[in-house]
Parts: sequence; C-alpha cells; structure tokens
Amino acid sequence: MTDTLDSPILDFQDAQAPADGTIIKIDDLSFSYDMGKTNTLRNISLDIPAGKVTAFIGPSGCGKSTLLRCLNRMNDLVDTAKVTTGQIDILGQNIYAPDVEAIELRKHVGMVFQKYNPFPKSIYENVAYGLRVQGIKKKSVLDQAVEESLRKSALWSEVKDRLNTSALGLSGGQQQRLCIARTIAVKPQIVLMDEPCSALDPIATARIEELIAELRQEFTIVIVTHNMQQATRVSDRTAFFYLGELIEYDNTTKVFGNPSKKQTEDYVSGRFG
Amino acid sequence: MSGHILKTYDEDLRQLKDSVLEMGANVIKGMESAVKGLMEGDRELCADVIDDDEVIDAAEKKIDEQGMSILLRYNPVASDLRLVLSSINVCRSIERIGDHAVNIAKRSRKIIKAGSCEEVRLIEPLFVEARQIVKSALESYADVDEQTAMKVVELDRKVDDLHKILSKGLSSKIAEEGGDDTESLLNILFISRSLERIGDLAVNIAEDVVFITSAEDIRHS
Repeated sequence: MTDTLDSPILDFQDAQAPADGTIIKIDDLSFSYDMGKTNTLRNISLDIPAGKVTAFIGPSGCGKSTLLRCLNRMNDLVDTAKVTTGQIDILGQNIYAPDVEAIELRKHVGMVFQKYNPFPKSIYENVAYGLRVQGIKKKSVLDQAVEESLRKSALWSEVKDRLNTSALGLSGGQQQRLCIARTIAVKPQIVLMDEPCSALDPIATARIEELIAELRQEFTIVIVTHNMQQATRVSDRTAFFYLGELIEYDNTTKVFGNPSKKQTEDYVSGRFG
Repeated sequence: MSGHILKTYDEDLRQLKDSVLEMGANVIKGMESAVKGLMEGDRELCADVIDDDEVIDAAEKKIDEQGMSILLRYNPVASDLRLVLSSINVCRSIERIGDHAVNIAKRSRKIIKAGSCEEVRLIEPLFVEARQIVKSALESYADVDEQTAMKVVELDRKVDDLHKILSKGLSSKIAEEGGDDTESLLNILFISRSLERIGDLAVNIAEDVVFITSAEDIRHS
C-alpha cells in the first residue's frame, strides 16, 4: 500500500465526534501483514471516546502496536499489509475508504514513537517542521505555534533560550517531549503514543505521564504500553489484547481492579504464561 | 487460579494469609480461655489471656508490614490487590476480637473475685455461637469462600438474638433483685455485649471475604 497523493482529501478538521462521544470506531477489524494469508488482528471492535486516554495492553505480539498503527494508516508503509475485514471510522469517516489520503489523515492523527526521533535540526525547526510542510511560512505564525507547542509539552522553560541549538543536544526525556511538541504543533485531534516512555528513566517517564494528563484536556490519546502501572496511572479506558484478539475493554479501574475475563486477570496480575 | 510468574509473589501472599489465620487461631484460643476461666473460676487462665494480647498486637504489626511490603514490591492488582487490602482489614477485625477477649477475661476475673454467681452459665450458649461465627468467618477467609462468608452474616442474627434475650433477662434480674450479685450481673451483661460485638466483627471479616471474591463492597448494605 502507498499513500494516494492524487486522491481527494477528506476534511477532518471540521469534523466532529459523534454525539455518543466516540472519536474512533473500530468495527470488526481484521488485519494481515501477508496479504491476508494470516490475520495479525482478528475481528476487533471497540469505540474510543473523545478527550480520554485509552491504553492498549497485552503481551508482545498481541497486536496492540499493529492496531495503533492502523489508526493513522502507518501500516500502509508495509507493502503486504492489508485490512482484511471491517473498518475504522475516525470522526465519522472511514479512514480506509479509497478517497482518504493517509498523509491528510496523519495531520489529524499524530504519532509519538517508542524511541524519540527528533530530526537533526534545531529545536525550533523540529517543532515548526509539520507546519512548514503544510505551507505555513509566516514567521510570526510559526513563532507562536512553536512556543505554544513547547509550552503544552512542558518544555518551553527548559529550551526557550536555545531554540536554535540542535535538538540532538537535549536529554532523552526532553527529546521525547520535543517529539510530542512536534506532533501537537499541527493540532491533531488524536495523538497515538507507542510505548513513549520505554526508553526513558523514571523521572523523564513521570514528566511524560504528567504531560499526558495535561494533553488529555485537548487531545484524544491512545497509548500502547507494556508498563501496566503506567496504564493504570494515565488512562481512562484500557483494552487488553491477546494473540490478535481483543479480550477485554473497559474502564481502567475495572480492568485492573476487577477484570471480567480470567485471561485479563491472569495477565494484569502477572500470572500469564 | 494459576500461580504468578514471580514465585516469591505467591510465597509472600501465602505467608500473609498464613499470618492472618495464625492470628485468628490465637484470638479464638483467647476467647476460649477467657470463658473457660470464667466457668471454672480460674483467674490465672484469665490473666494469661490479658498477657497474650501483646502477641496479638505484635501479629497485627507484622501483618501490616507484610501487606505493605507486598504493595511496595509487587504492585498487586485485581484479586491480589483485594486480597492484600482485605487481609489488612481482616487483621484489624481480629485484633478487635482479641480486645474483646481481653475485656471478657478482665470482667471474668472480677466475677470470680466477687464469689460464685450461677448466672455465668447463661453466657455459654452465646459464647458457643460467637466462637462458631468467628471460626466460620476465618474459614471463609482461608478458603476464599463467598458462600461460607454469606452464612456468617446469617449466623450473626442468632448471636444478636441470644445477646438480646440474655441482656433482657439480666437487666430484669438486676432491676428486680439487686443485691450483692448486681456487680457480677453487670459484668456478665458486659461479657454478653462483648460476645455480640465479636459477632459483628466476624461479619466484617465475612464482608472482606466477599470483597475478595466478587469485588463487591457489601458493608452497610
């Protein structure tokens, strides 16, 4: 699959979450990395609420990161990847419809990765990058957006005096917050986070978790994490996956306090395997 | 339920539970000794119960430490978390049952010192029920058995009824007859009250067991 650059662009910017508050609706989704020979995800259905933090948990290989990457069509970059059944609606739009362009989608569904990956550019240019790609050139607009994004990412006070120095000179935790600033600079409605703290020390992790709590006011966040204490701390809803299937999806306090399924209980309490 | 991947976690949970059950067994022994001392006029037996309260208090502290250690080291969730929280609660109820055993022992010594009082025999049926309810509550905790726990709630009605009958009878006797036995009769009344409170504390234990099994908080319901 490749991005269809010439296809019409659907306008997500003005789209609103449906009245029931669901911003992402996943319906009977099956997904394959080998053109449908085997399904990595099988018949996943779940509704992700707007303005909340939803955590995906499960053992390695359960499909949680695959599902996350389905939400902004990152899997399109894999030639043999294919949605075999079902669909994903974001803000009421089927994101796998032929007339939806993946690049346009990703403006509204940003992503933060496991390993912080700032560009080898200045701090300022990292944050301004997405806006420049969108064609914004006016310095005052860029300045304002860079400051606003860095403030929201709780990084402004640490970098405001060295915006033109290399982003690679920042600490790991600062680089990850910079990546979050870069993601939110283009004002997505949804931020996907794929194990955003797995490469960070406990202090840097706490800062990111605090940041997630702040960002939830403005964005819908979906986070993949192996750290179950982190899922309990930062998320409102938790989905547990095992072997490509959704086993349980409920309020986080329910999933970790009194899960409905034995498989969930065994996994969250460390009995798995 | 299968064991944890981390075997030390299973072992620490098992030790916590064992400590609670051992404390419970010691408290039942205290109740038995206090009432036996009363029935047999054995003041030394009553004194032993009072002295042994230190053992119960030490057990309570040990269980708190074990519970805190598990919370710190393993970050328990779901039924494990409920087990740890409930074990600490159960230990608190057992400690209070121990305090009532001490109260019974202290009042028994006063009754014995005052001379024979045949109304002490009236305590026995209530004591038998109170002991049984504590045993049942601890069994429900040991087996994490919700059915047994719910029976404890029912058993408590019997304890309450026996206490009401006994206290009514003793109050009438004090009002009508008074005399030299008044102080002893009042002490028997207080012992009856302690046994009734022990029944309530056994119910608290049973409620904690229901919380472990179903995550349902049935207190005050």
